[in-house]
Amino acid sequence: MKISFPHMGNLHIILSSAIKVLGGEVVVPPCNSKTTLSLGTRNSPEAVCLPYKLILGNYIQAIEAGAEAILMLDSPGICRLGQYSDSSRNALIDLGYDVEFINFDLYQGKLREIYKKFKKATNNGNPLDLIRAIKIALFKIDILDQLDHALAYYRAREIHIGSSDAKYRKGIKAIEEAFTLKECRNAFKYAMDLLSSVPVDTGKEILHVDLTGEIFVVLDSFANLEVEKELGKLGVHVHRKLNLSDWTKSSLMPSILRFSETHGEKAERFAKTYLKRDIGGDAIESIGDAALAEYNKSDGVVHLLPFTCMPEIVSQNILPNVRLTNDIPVLSIVLDEQMGKAGFNTRLEAFVDLIKRRKRKIA
Amino acid sequence: MKIGIPRALGYYLYYPFWHGFFNELGIEIVLSGKTNKKIVSDGSALVVSETCLPVKVYVGHVLELLNNGVDVIYSPSIQSIAPKVYNCSKLRGLPDLIRNVIRRNFLLIEPTFDKSVPKQGLQQFLYETVAPLGITNKKKIDLASKAGWECMNNYWLMTRAGVKAEIALQNIINGKVDLTLKTNELPINAAVISHGYNLYDEHISMKVIKKLEGLGVNSLTADNLNLAQMTKGIETLNTNLYWANEAEITGAAGYYMTDNAVDGLITITAFGCGPDSLMIERITRFARRLNKPILNLTIDEHTGEAGFVTRLEAFTDMLYRKKRTILVETLNRQIYNGDEKNIQLVQEVEYLNAKA
Repeated sequence: MKISFPHMGNLHIILSSAIKVLGGEVVVPPCNSKTTLSLGTRNSPEAVCLPYKLILGNYIQAIEAGAEAILMLDSPGICRLGQYSDSSRNALIDLGYDVEFINFDLYQGKLREIYKKFKKATNNGNPLDLIRAIKIALFKIDILDQLDHALAYYRAREIHIGSSDAKYRKGIKAIEEAFTLKECRNAFKYAMDLLSSVPVDTGKEILHVDLTGEIFVVLDSFANLEVEKELGKLGVHVHRKLNLSDWTKSSLMPSILRFSETHGEKAERFAKTYLKRDIGGDAIESIGDAALAEYNKSDGVVHLLPFTCMPEIVSQNILPNVRLTNDIPVLSIVLDEQMGKAGFNTRLEAFVDLIKRRKRKIA
Repeated sequence: MKIGIPRALGYYLYYPFWHGFFNELGIEIVLSGKTNKKIVSDGSALVVSETCLPVKVYVGHVLELLNNGVDVIYSPSIQSIAPKVYNCSKLRGLPDLIRNVIRRNFLLIEPTFDKSVPKQGLQQFLYETVAPLGITNKKKIDLASKAGWECMNNYWLMTRAGVKAEIALQNIINGKVDLTLKTNELPINAAVISHGYNLYDEHISMKVIKKLEGLGVNSLTADNLNLAQMTKGIETLNTNLYWANEAEITGAAGYYMTDNAVDGLITITAFGCGPDSLMIERITRFARRLNKPILNLTIDEHTGEAGFVTRLEAFTDMLYRKKRTILVETLNRQIYNGDEKNIQLVQEVEYLNAKA
């Protein structure tokens, strides 16, 4: 069975290596592009959020490329995420496609559910293989996040704009082709070495910005119009607050195995004054990150959300209040299929100007 | 003791219960006035423009109550109505939103109703509700809960018998149960699918029910159905209960879609409504498969009444024509029935119709 899955940032590298380790066949859908988005938009309701449209586009392109089954997450999605598979299945039926959905329902149990669904997808029930696959997947999630954080450092300080991105892509390729832990470790070392060979200007005036919001648009560089890269060009060191590794820690790992406070728990602690209850999505994280930014010595917060995202609309409403009590500039950017790159960049530039002036004034 | 309840959102779903409950406890309910332009614009001014219309209206109502000197506002957060059946994020975070956007000094009573948390239910929710008002006598609260349920059940008894929700609510406030129906036969039956807070708020829905009546259309709503019927409707649309208020949309639509007495469906949804976006899509797709006429209307604070009426008129015209054609066809079939030559004729007509 040829398995596919939707894109979200670097997720395809992780999932395809896990499936390949288990001996399954993978169809990675073409990278998110204008075509993907228009395919998705055409077949989805107008007011649905951007991730749904992109994911539906991924499905269509994956099926066209020969996928027979789709791996997707069903829960814990306390927003529309839990209905994604159900609705997109309907859309695909109306389009005349026949595809099987393999959904992780994390309400039914965490590790057991992963075992069951990977077994179904790859026809490989060997628990040792599965442990190996999970180990590699988790390790890759970790190293990819570390690499991203390193990239953010070099992007802000590089002398030749774009040089760190070229090195990063090379490193990613090496990680993509690693299928054992040892290979992964070597690939990571290789990638880090590549990045550290980028010439940097250490004396440059650097601004620190926290990037938060809805996890899909924060992680997916197509959906967020490469916000990290654009900010990097403007001399901003972006601290991405939502990472896959944090998500796996909080959602997949059994709570007994967790030793330290996860990012979500920390954010919840700081968000408590503004948002008393969990309202689904990443609203608590967004508000917590904005409240934490001053404490983190950041100069500003960029808050990304897809248009009509329900939890983030609430956090968007609450953020002005957070800004009043914590002296921190926040830029909320709403993303949808109508976004233009030029207007987006202008807003980022204006924001960076603002925080730069503010920083100089304070100093 | 006074408690202010905004005439928006939860009011249209649970007010009979609150009426019985608070009155039994001797708490006076102060309702905000009916929605008007000022309320909508006041509410919209405080929240970001993306927020959906019902929430903007809710904020406006809270403001009106505060301006009228009521300083205790009841704004519950309905998190989930059954294990893992959650509400829309905006409704779940409603008290948080109110607290953060209206920066004034008032007592916000914000109990949380969450059935997904073990050992959390209506009782805890009610204790939490009246604790800020200084009522902690559990026996008294339980009795009040009973009184609330009595009102709620009477309300459902009336609406499910076919009484219009507005009249039923008035009856509850007057303390009576009246099952007499206004019997004016209308030629067309249309199911109006929308959340109660959109449909029964005359400013938001622009009196759609009365307008339809004027066009000769009898409107059926989710309030006229019982839970079993709505559950059946959800099964018809091949899904399961995901949203807390899914029954009144998917359930009602699914039920009416398979009901032959219903000529068409009209859905009314607020712009940017999260749950509705996917539920209405499902309904539209199934309506297409089951060949049921459907009209999707989206409303926001800028919706013009003229365009709204035009679309309703066009849709009802279409329903009239469809009904007439079906009637003529069945009559013809009855006339020609039996004769071999005429059967051929009927087949020919059918063929022509199919081609057209």
